[in-house]
Amino acid sequence: MTTETPQKGKILLLATLSGGYRGADMVGQGHMDYPPNTYILPVMSSAIFPPKFYIDAFEKGFDAITVMYSGTDSPYKGESEKTAEIINETYEKMKELNLDLRRLRLAAICTVCVRPFLEEVQRAESLLEEIGPLPRPLAKQGVAANVN
Amino acid sequence: MPEEIVNTQAQNPKEDEPRIGVYVCNCGGNIGDVVKCEHVARTLERLPNVVVSRDNMFMCSDPGQKMIADDIKEKGVNRVVIGACSIFLHEQTFRRTLERAGLNPYLYYHIGLREQVSWVHHGTPKEATEKSIRMMAAGIAKARNMKPLEPVRLPAHRQALVIGGGVAGLRSALDLARRGLKVTLVEKSHYLGGHMAQWERVFPTNEEARPLLKRLIDQVLAEPNITIHTGAEVIGAKGYVGNYNVTIRQTPRGVRETFPNEQEAIDVCPIKRRKRFDFGLSTSKAIYRTYTGCVPESLVIDWETCTKCGECVKVAPEGMINLDEEAQEFTVDVGAVVLATGFQPYEPFYGEMGWKEFPEVITLPQLHRLLDDEGPTQGKFWWNGHPVKNVAIIHCVGSRQVEGVHRAQPDGNVNNYCSRVCCTASLSMASLIRQKAPDAKIYEVFEDIRAYGRGHEDYYTRASKNNVTFLRYFAEEIPEVRRADEKAEHPLLVKVRDHLTWGEEIEIPVDLVVLSVGMMPNPVQDLMEIFKVTPGSDRFLLEVHPKLRPVETAVNGVVLAGTAQGPMNIQESCAAASAAASKVSALIEQAKVELEPYVARVDPDKCQGSGECVKVCPQEEAIELKTFSENGNTFQRAVVTPANCNGCGVCVSACPNRAIDVQGWRLDEYEAMVSAIAADIPAWEGAA
Repeated sequence: MTTETPQKGKILLLATLSGGYRGADMVGQGHMDYPPNTYILPVMSSAIFPPKFYIDAFEKGFDAITVMYSGTDSPYKGESEKTAEIINETYEKMKELNLDLRRLRLAAICTVCVRPFLEEVQRAESLLEEIGPLPRPLAKQGVAANVN
Repeated sequence: MPEEIVNTQAQNPKEDEPRIGVYVCNCGGNIGDVVKCEHVARTLERLPNVVVSRDNMFMCSDPGQKMIADDIKEKGVNRVVIGACSIFLHEQTFRRTLERAGLNPYLYYHIGLREQVSWVHHGTPKEATEKSIRMMAAGIAKARNMKPLEPVRLPAHRQALVIGGGVAGLRSALDLARRGLKVTLVEKSHYLGGHMAQWERVFPTNEEARPLLKRLIDQVLAEPNITIHTGAEVIGAKGYVGNYNVTIRQTPRGVRETFPNEQEAIDVCPIKRRKRFDFGLSTSKAIYRTYTGCVPESLVIDWETCTKCGECVKVAPEGMINLDEEAQEFTVDVGAVVLATGFQPYEPFYGEMGWKEFPEVITLPQLHRLLDDEGPTQGKFWWNGHPVKNVAIIHCVGSRQVEGVHRAQPDGNVNNYCSRVCCTASLSMASLIRQKAPDAKIYEVFEDIRAYGRGHEDYYTRASKNNVTFLRYFAEEIPEVRRADEKAEHPLLVKVRDHLTWGEEIEIPVDLVVLSVGMMPNPVQDLMEIFKVTPGSDRFLLEVHPKLRPVETAVNGVVLAGTAQGPMNIQESCAAASAAASKVSALIEQAKVELEPYVARVDPDKCQGSGECVKVCPQEEAIELKTFSENGNTFQRAVVTPANCNGCGVCVSACPNRAIDVQGWRLDEYEAMVSAIAADIPAWEGAA
């Protein structure tokens, strides 16, 4: 099963159930195509993932990650601020590993954000076309493991 | 149906070992036409802990559900992973399947193979199949770590708030009260009944609207469980399902009750205003009664136009009128909320088929008032002081609009939906005109006639027999209304290309043009923000699913009733309102609600009492540090109060020891899912 476009890489979309995940469903209901190297995981809240989770995901095989949260429309008080804070912390870790910061992105996607969803997917695809998948391992052994 | 697949590696496992059942739905071809479902199932059967892996045409069907239940009972499946349509459609269906089979309903994970794979990767079936395998493998990885969960059970107020005192709100309130629930009914205007009070008659029974409405209002007034606040609106809310604390602001009426010389108080008022109840066709004073027999019946002050000159106070009994009364705010505790906020008629833009450009162009709601015996002409079909001899009713104004043909609304969208009720409403008005003006020439200028309800088609038949002339236009060439020559007998001309006469261009001379305007939602942006409910692309409030959960919003405890949700006639509004009442009563009738168990949970073995979770938690009293003693040692540990935790997960990423997680959405589950998607799985050798 390993024929999947290795040159393009994998894109992970972490989409909130109150926002981006429903937006993704709306895109599907509209039968609008986007590339199949995108993997969407539903999340209750985007604030649960610490920086290590993102670095590990890059290490495991994802080449771009977009967190599709609800932004200021989040039903969870504090979710958007905390997520932004975590993403900023992760950027610092990514710099240490010489990772292109554009590989991780935070985007506000609502339940009916069909066009913005597709634009985000396209942005990630274009990025991977430009910079390619990540070379692995990301850095010398143990660096990623030290990220909290 | 594919042959049963049994994973030999997973036979005779330990009792506590995950035994995973994997089910791939073809969705009648919606998935199976793109994704090779059998290939997915066969490939996944080799994964550790997978006991059975099957594909089926419809997993949600009774046989599909029975298949899962049988596997649970007969093969000892204790985790279920289903790849099917959207999780939002059938999560509850499959949870109940597990429950019926004696398995904890939360030991199930759902992958949206339809909306997020087959419907978005039509042109790449091979890649779609590979993606399905990876996504299902992620579900299996999560399933290995899943734990049984129990819902959070909370006490709930056996009281509901109904927002909107139109026919839907009244119906909901009455149904709720009759089930023994307390109801607070809040209506923004100063009378009950909404638009129904403005109609002369209602179809399909041809009953007079206001006597019918009065029967409903009388029943509501007689119900001791209902408290009514008119002139009131919701300005804030705190809490969650079962426990909302809602703040209401009530605008004073200005007049305490009815009094004998009310007409004198009205006569001395120097202010004239357009009467909204008559859609601007008449005027009233700043102190006025909405209509004879309205509830509440007393006069009311229009604070927007009242200058507080005090003339009415001078003639009214002492203390009867208070022009200095201030708005009051109060709160109510309720368990659930019914949004019955109604609709507003479409307002054509200037010049749209002569609207506002020619005074002889009115809307269908205005025609209702014109033909009403208590309306501005006491029911005579007159306009500008003359009997109307020729009238054209133009359908689909503000409905079924086409981008590029019709002018967009301020938000950039056109109303591309059908307002559904206007066809029959127009036809019923044609019948009423025929009664009031037997010699009038009546033209129905339509795009399509959609008389869809029981008895509605009769109006079309009756109108045809009553010499109503029908002309059909197509959307790309909408009728044109223009001024006739000064000497012409009739002031307006309606030009229409009539497709009933094979595209002949016809000009109709008329005295009055009636625009059959569609429905638009009332502007309730404030309520949307307060209750976190969302609108659809048509701007009406959105239900979870039009068929499966037709009156529920995505917010637990907030339901929809009537035309807040979309165009409906009165019959449909009442049905929706009763459905909303049923949902609410089922939710809070037992004075408790069950919430999803997705709340924070502390692992006491890992917690070191750092308190980071307490510092970052945005919820009040959701988590705290408590002191414990054991074997002479005193230490602190974080403790969660599930009722106050909403599962936002801010604490999860803050904990330095990974001692806290959101149940059902744990970090280790995500880590396993990410690993599973990234891993390569050997394909089933039988693949085509």
